[in-house]
Amino acid sequence: MSPGLPPRFQQNVWRRIEDTEAPVQPTSWLDALAALILRPRFAAAATAGLLLAGVFAGTLEGRQTARHDAQMNYLAAVAPHAAR
Amino acid sequence: MNRSLVILLGALALGAAIFAGSYFASQRATVMCCARPADDLSWLRDEFHLSDGDMARIRELHEGYLPKCAEMCAKIAAKKGELASVLGNGTNVTAAAQAKLEEIASLRAQCQAQMLQHFIAVSQVMPPEAGRRYLAEMKRLTLGANEPMEQSMSDDTGHEHHH
Repeated sequence: MSPGLPPRFQQNVWRRIEDTEAPVQPTSWLDALAALILRPRFAAAATAGLLLAGVFAGTLEGRQTARHDAQMNYLAAVAPHAAR
Repeated sequence: MNRSLVILLGALALGAAIFAGSYFASQRATVMCCARPADDLSWLRDEFHLSDGDMARIRELHEGYLPKCAEMCAKIAAKKGELASVLGNGTNVTAAAQAKLEEIASLRAQCQAQMLQHFIAVSQVMPPEAGRRYLAEMKRLTLGANEPMEQSMSDDTGHEHHH
């Protein structure tokens, strides 16, 4: 008659496997930052944030430029340089 | 090189490229979308939120003013040509050249007066607050155009006096 397995044998085995496969804890802030950057969720969020920020800033700047160009068109029509 | 550093630098470069790409693309798209170069008056409509009725009256004033403005510009240009021929290759400001300079100044003053009159007429077509803002802006842009240069010259003169 063979002896029975100890209680929670399977959970313990899986826990040990997980511990073995767990990534090595980063040793410096640079490693920690690199590890953070490589996380897909962080990378996706940062990409989306940068895209949105770029679109927002570009649109604001574009509107300013278009407004300035339109103002200069009007000014060139009503107040040519010779008159100023 | 340290692997983490390479990852960090690569991520920074990629992030900068993503930001710059979206910035320039959206800036360009906005300028192309909002620009209406065919219409000189588009700025007025957008900036002062004018109605179609206001715009129709302003357009009428604008089209009436343009030939007068062109005529004044032609007179100034002709007078400048006369000044150039009087000056020739000489190194002195002769009495004739002085007279031409005064005639140009007088024409410019007439042109500016006509221009101001037009701005006032346009401002009166607009709603009161927009009209005030328009008139102030046009005075700043036209009459104040030479102010920075004059200011810098008077500053320079002031420095000389202090020495």
